[in-house]
Amino acid sequence: MPSSLPSIERARPLLGTTVAVRVHGLDEKDAHHAIDDAFQEIALIHRLMSFHEPDSDLSRLNRDAADRAVEVHAATFEVLKLAEEMSQLSGGCFDITVAPQLVALGMLAAPDSRREPDPQATWRDVVLEPNCRVRFQRPLWIDLGGIAKGYAVDRAMEILRARGAVQACVNAGGDLRIHGPDSERVLLTPGEFRGDSLPVLEVENAAVASSGSAQPHADSPSAPHFDGRSRQSVSKGGFVSVLAQHCVTADALTKVALALQEHSEPLLRRIGASAHLYDSERGWRHLGI
Amino acid sequence: MRGQFLLLPLASVAIVAPAHATVYLTVDQAQQLLFPGAEFVADNRMITPEQEREIERASGISVRNRTLNLWRVSTGGWFIVDQVIGRHDNIPYAIGLDTDGSVRGIEILEYRESYGGQIREPLWRAQFIGKRHGAALTLKRDIQNISGATLSCRHIADGVKRLLATHAFVIAEH
Repeated sequence: MPSSLPSIERARPLLGTTVAVRVHGLDEKDAHHAIDDAFQEIALIHRLMSFHEPDSDLSRLNRDAADRAVEVHAATFEVLKLAEEMSQLSGGCFDITVAPQLVALGMLAAPDSRREPDPQATWRDVVLEPNCRVRFQRPLWIDLGGIAKGYAVDRAMEILRARGAVQACVNAGGDLRIHGPDSERVLLTPGEFRGDSLPVLEVENAAVASSGSAQPHADSPSAPHFDGRSRQSVSKGGFVSVLAQHCVTADALTKVALALQEHSEPLLRRIGASAHLYDSERGWRHLGI
Repeated sequence: MRGQFLLLPLASVAIVAPAHATVYLTVDQAQQLLFPGAEFVADNRMITPEQEREIERASGISVRNRTLNLWRVSTGGWFIVDQVIGRHDNIPYAIGLDTDGSVRGIEILEYRESYGGQIREPLWRAQFIGKRHGAALTLKRDIQNISGATLSCRHIADGVKRLLATHAFVIAEH
């Protein structure tokens, strides 16, 4: 690590959490510019994919896409494409059309939509057309909460890398990506502490995302996630941290690993990721690569 | 990509970030980032009980501290340093307001919220144990990042709401 240059870290409230960006290997002015642009990119992703902002791409889709094709920003389209891939790979366990279940639980406010969502609708009803156009085959509501945060982290990291950051970290409330030649340690916090040791992932050029809690009924700050097939909450699955190349993958895979538990092993291996599950009864279990 | 799961014995770990607050920016640095090249004149205000009631009525957020740490910006606008109470500790942050009271930017100055209550005590203990054993580890070996259940930033959002009302009733009118 070039020691003559400072390590600069800043944080802002974004994506409904606190986002910290740390850069090493740039002079102070360039580092601040790069961090400014990284925050701006995250704010853009937030504006495009917010469930509550009435002008977001997501709100426009939930309002109109069942009636006609809606053109969205290339970033929104890319996230929808990644979500579709994850739904395919996970056999429908990962599904962005579970928003009505989140609304029913009071986790999300009902969107301004003329039509009630069709209970039969699934991810297969989200049709991605050329030129960033999106159409729903049935009335449905999508929520990108399970994937957009990881995507925003990746986009921010791309900016820091393009600006020449040697070592960098983007951490959106625990969903993070680390770039650079040095390995860094990430402390995993399942919400319960036992024994005389700390669970840590030592990573290099990788992303880590976490979901759930060792005590799902305790006062947990995390929103519940739903299995797209059963439409049941996966919060009983305990806590998981997923390690993957990209944060968007790690973010999405946390929900899949909580829902599928040991059955997520083949998918994790195929994607080149690992899942580290924890619950009070069984302690730590490790799946994937 | 490379990654390895480890269970580190508490006694061998020197915790950097969790046990100490992460200091992101000084007040001076935040001022220059939000208003590059500007000069700042301190203009602290005392919020009167009447203003306090107006702020609370308009924002729905209680005023915990009646001292307003305010700076007048030479290029126009205002700079405020405020604190909100997170889950365990105060979170100091800075906000830049344009002349019309719209938010120009927010920077968190320090953060001590990165870890949950359950793990907090052992971490402090770990730090103590590390010291007692004279563990001197390089920065690279320390824990710099935390991944767990997402923390909400609602307390900061509430603070911003309160400051926007404060602008309306304390700064703009006087």
